[in-house]
Amino acid sequence: MSVAANSQPDQDDPAVRAAQEERLRAVWSPPSGLFLRWTDTNNNVVGIWYTLTAFGMMLFAGVLALIMRTQLAVPENDLVSASTFNQLFTLHGSMMMFLFAVPMFEAVSVLILPQLLGARDLPFPRLSAFGYWSFLIGGVFVAGSIFFDAAPDGGWFMYPPLSTNSSTAGIGADIWMLGLSFIEVSSIAAAVELIVGVLKCRPPGMRLNLMPLYAWYILVVAVMILFAFPPLIAGDLLFEMERLLDWPFFDAKRGGDPLLWQHLFWIFGHPEVYIIFLPSIGIFAMVIPTFSQRHLLGYPWIVLAAVGTGFLSFGLWVHHMFATGMPNISLGFFSAASEAVAIPTAVQIFVFIATIWAGRVIWSTPMLYGAGSLAIFVIGGLTGVMVAVAPFDWQAHDTYFVVAHLHYVLIGGTLMPLFAGLYYYWPLVTAKKLSDRLGRIAFWMMFVGVNLGFFPMHISGLMGMPRRVYTYSEALGVGTLNLLSTLGAYLFAIGVAVVVVDLCLSPQRQHVPRNPWNAGTLEWLEFAQQENWGVRSVPLIESRYPLWDQPDFVRHVDEGRYFLPDAEEGYRELMITSVLDARPLQVARITGPSVIPMIAAITLGGVFIFTTFHLYWEALASGLTALAVILCWLWTGTGIIPEKAEKHAGLGIMLPLYASGPTSPGWWAMFITMTGDATAFAALIFGYFFFWTVHTDFPPDPLPGLTGPGWYWPMLALALILAGWVLTIAARETNARGKVWFARVALAVAAAANGAGGLAGLAGPWNSGLDPTRHVYPAIVWIMAIWIATHAMLGVIMQLFVLARSLAGRMTPVYDGDVRNITLYEHFLALSALITFLVIGFFPRLA
Amino acid sequence: MICKLHKLAQRLKSSLWMLVVPPTVWALHFLFSYVYTAVRCAKSGSVEAIVDIRTGITVATVVALLLVAASGYVAWTQSRIDGDLRPYQDSTDEDRLHFLAAATLLLAGLSFVAILFTAIPAFIFEDCI
Amino acid sequence: MTDHNPDQFSVFKPISRSLLRLIFGPVLALLYGCTGIQSTFSAFGVEAESTRSLTWVMTAAATVITIGVLWLAWYAARTPASQLDYKGGMRVIFWFGALGPTLLLSVLLVFSLSKMRTLPTGTDDLKIAVTGEQFWWRARYLPVGGQSVETANEIRIPVGRTVAFALTSPDVIHSFWIPGLAGKVDMIPGRTNDLVVRATQAGVYRGVCAEFCGLSHAHMAFDVVAMEPAAFEQWLTNMAHPATGGDSPGRKLFESYGCSGCHTIRGHIEGATIGPDLTHFGSRLSVGAGTLPMTLDAISRFIRNPASVKPGVMMPDFREISDKDVAVISNYLVELR
Repeated sequence: MSVAANSQPDQDDPAVRAAQEERLRAVWSPPSGLFLRWTDTNNNVVGIWYTLTAFGMMLFAGVLALIMRTQLAVPENDLVSASTFNQLFTLHGSMMMFLFAVPMFEAVSVLILPQLLGARDLPFPRLSAFGYWSFLIGGVFVAGSIFFDAAPDGGWFMYPPLSTNSSTAGIGADIWMLGLSFIEVSSIAAAVELIVGVLKCRPPGMRLNLMPLYAWYILVVAVMILFAFPPLIAGDLLFEMERLLDWPFFDAKRGGDPLLWQHLFWIFGHPEVYIIFLPSIGIFAMVIPTFSQRHLLGYPWIVLAAVGTGFLSFGLWVHHMFATGMPNISLGFFSAASEAVAIPTAVQIFVFIATIWAGRVIWSTPMLYGAGSLAIFVIGGLTGVMVAVAPFDWQAHDTYFVVAHLHYVLIGGTLMPLFAGLYYYWPLVTAKKLSDRLGRIAFWMMFVGVNLGFFPMHISGLMGMPRRVYTYSEALGVGTLNLLSTLGAYLFAIGVAVVVVDLCLSPQRQHVPRNPWNAGTLEWLEFAQQENWGVRSVPLIESRYPLWDQPDFVRHVDEGRYFLPDAEEGYRELMITSVLDARPLQVARITGPSVIPMIAAITLGGVFIFTTFHLYWEALASGLTALAVILCWLWTGTGIIPEKAEKHAGLGIMLPLYASGPTSPGWWAMFITMTGDATAFAALIFGYFFFWTVHTDFPPDPLPGLTGPGWYWPMLALALILAGWVLTIAARETNARGKVWFARVALAVAAAANGAGGLAGLAGPWNSGLDPTRHVYPAIVWIMAIWIATHAMLGVIMQLFVLARSLAGRMTPVYDGDVRNITLYEHFLALSALITFLVIGFFPRLA
Repeated sequence: MICKLHKLAQRLKSSLWMLVVPPTVWALHFLFSYVYTAVRCAKSGSVEAIVDIRTGITVATVVALLLVAASGYVAWTQSRIDGDLRPYQDSTDEDRLHFLAAATLLLAGLSFVAILFTAIPAFIFEDCI
Repeated sequence: MTDHNPDQFSVFKPISRSLLRLIFGPVLALLYGCTGIQSTFSAFGVEAESTRSLTWVMTAAATVITIGVLWLAWYAARTPASQLDYKGGMRVIFWFGALGPTLLLSVLLVFSLSKMRTLPTGTDDLKIAVTGEQFWWRARYLPVGGQSVETANEIRIPVGRTVAFALTSPDVIHSFWIPGLAGKVDMIPGRTNDLVVRATQAGVYRGVCAEFCGLSHAHMAFDVVAMEPAAFEQWLTNMAHPATGGDSPGRKLFESYGCSGCHTIRGHIEGATIGPDLTHFGSRLSVGAGTLPMTLDAISRFIRNPASVKPGVMMPDFREISDKDVAVISNYLVELR
């Protein structure tokens, strides 16, 4: 950053301001037309699509639940068959988790995070749009399966062998695995977007200690996604290899173990609960100060709670497996962590209580939902402490007690806060308030409905009613309790219907002024019905509640007296700032509307959908198209060389228009993506050593088909991949020193080395004749070799891409973001190749 | 000596990486306890294993607690570097530092408790059943 | 009540008390009626009894904490602004949010871990190997020094003696749960899990599969009979004997319809062991793994169309069988005691 020599535009002059606004409006104008409007990538628009779709998924999954409750209203009912019932509860759970709760958090974040940060958009708008389209395609694919009686029916946890055997699980299992894998990929895309958004796109002056608490929660949750989803993706991979190619990862007869799936699933599954719970608490942390009309007390405590919960939630997964016969001492560790995680949760609750204690509470509708969810969540949290106690869990596990517990937690901790957020943020999005009267009626219906519906389940569970039964015997004596639960469920559903009616009536209501709740945080700068540009100028922040504390703040923003008040070169621009102190670093130019994200999502979705139906050639064609589309996206939309090195950013500072390496958002995106990728890889390594732990003979005796790859091919592969890595680093360094041709040659040789390394990695198991369908040892060695080979091939594509960019003049010694980003990729590739080949080459000699 | 350490602690600047040190120590301690126990229980007799497990977890716990205490100490010294008083809500270098130090200190407290919790089972059970 | 001042704190107490009675009255009344054949509240084993008391302690504590937190939230919401300063707020968070829960949870953790210890077993304890199969239970009694006995869909145990179950499954994951006796343990293909129990009271109870295992997961139960040791020994001796009774027409029909392709009746028909052993079928309390009562009608119904009782069952249907034949086979089976 440097101080500008010449004078800045005169923001006192209305004509200057009007001209600036005209230019901004032109640059940020949304695409129109019947088809083109769907090519929009702006966070306001994509966020609304995303939110509505996720809301629709919730209503659909809720209807499934009502059918189940109707079936269970009386003992030995026969409204639906066992097969339908199994599809209903599998889809209800899977949809609520994967198609409502997680996408809803992503949707709300896409919608309001830029506003919270006074930013004009997210750093990778096309990635948000890609995430949305992937979610829509995958969601419709999974949810729609029930209309063809082909929905998954193995429970949302899909335990093998029930779900891997073709005799007990049909195509529904593949729809679940592949459809949801696709959505998991889009969740990781969202995590990348949100982490970079929070860390790099804050307004100048918004140091870490001033960040809105919602942003803290989003940061923690997005990082959790990076470590939680990849083990499930790795598990999905093993699962589909077993289903499609008969590789016996979970088949006990051939050395596999059904428990490996449970570990991988729950390493994802428990953090998942916190992934959907924390953002809702983040909404609370925005709502409560507004309606207490004071700062939140104990800001560092909330950060403690968010970060602490994020970590501890990874030490709980085995409490879903207390009954699997693991040693008691091992269960003890998980019981201990499950108790410990209650501490940060309690801290959050008392931070909120202390804040409303210190402030003056305004009993608005959002606050009412807040209070109701507190009451429900406290009960759910305490039954959570109870099930963390192993002896109690041995009784309660897989009974309706757990159904009661999880619904108290998720309705109190996720759904009701979301309704609070709905009533709170509706004016931000539409400039209209929802009805207080309908809101309160709906609230009381839902509140009574939840308690009437779920409280009796605690008792029916302890009276011996297992989960996932499509009917139950009268002899159990739980008929009355179930009837109450059904009545409660209907009451709750009517409450939700009232909210839907309220939403539908909204267009007829009066506009409200800007910031109708008199809130203090940045997002309320926004006019709804607003200009597409978000904020008129990117503000300088000096307080956690700038609208309350900074005098004339709103006027200064509106008069363009802060940063980037203009779009003089005709580009969409964002401020990029430093992680800790939000010092301005760069003005980043982002891309506008494009059809590419949608096509990329459709073609990539095709890979998963065709594979489900065993249409492998079509899947391959779709995959190659997706690759071409993504390369086109990267070629035209990223790392664009600006026409000048720096520009006036306002308030008299000059900022560069291009950054490469760790100051650039792209480098961070690669780093974050590869962290997730490395986690998936770690899950495969965990699998290898898991089998070693549970078997006395792993690797098995070297019979034909079971003989390991030896050390020669693995070491050759490792040497080649490390050579590719070194050459890529050399290319980066020589390019930066201006020796462009040397760098190009290095890249070409590096690509050849990486490609040969990947093939040599496969040659090991191929030459020793390892038969992956015979036993789990060949299967896991093969999958590790394939993992590295695939990554090496991706590396080759990247190296050739960068080579082409260099030849086309799109990458130069100064504008070298591309080569720096792929070098980062190569670091991760080298590390995972090192681990893989040492393990498959030498571990059999040690074991 | 102590004075020197104190000075050193003051110089280490709190950052996001410092913030995650205590919970990362918890995570490593937890992972060690789980993996070591699983492998020992699977690969040797149930009663012989428990002696090793107890020794291993005792050592790991002491090391982990020392690390957490050290990061808590660093955070504490930094929270006492001159500057504004709580609640650290100005856009200044001091406030940002104080805030990160305070949050790190709290996380160190939570991690300390969580590490102790993790160690308890090793001393309650006497076998691998 | 119409003229009460909402800000007046003293009014709250009587209201809250009557409110509590209103809410918890029916709950307590319900809990008194919670006993049942498959209920954790009607405990008849050492573990289940110990867990039941743990449940009551934790429920009481959870109730007190819930009421306390909600009362505090209510009180905080009614307090006018600035009654609590920054330091006071920090004190609330520290004591109630951090330290209080830490201490309570430490106590709970130590207390609960010590309750996880398995009952000690000796070499002369009775062992029972149970496998869960879609959707029934194969039980093999392995008495010390005695002959092993296979039966199905019913577990009988002696009161006051330690019994060790060895649990596994050949097909998919099931979970073995007798709520009144002890917590559940999963039955996982490729693994054998142990469960050690001791019954304290004689009686007839019910166990059930707790892990979702397919279409008839809801119909995978079994009868549990805790017997006085002497009666148990007598029962086991009887079970070890082959089936009695001579030539009956039912036996021939049983063979001619191919039933022995899956079922064995020791002493009569050395059939396959794919399906449940039927040697002393008539002595069991129910038909179809706890699904139907032990009556002739129920047996006939099951034989004709087992899938109408248990969807997804492996047994084929015999819809074409004549009324006479099915009655004869049912009669034959019910007399196997």
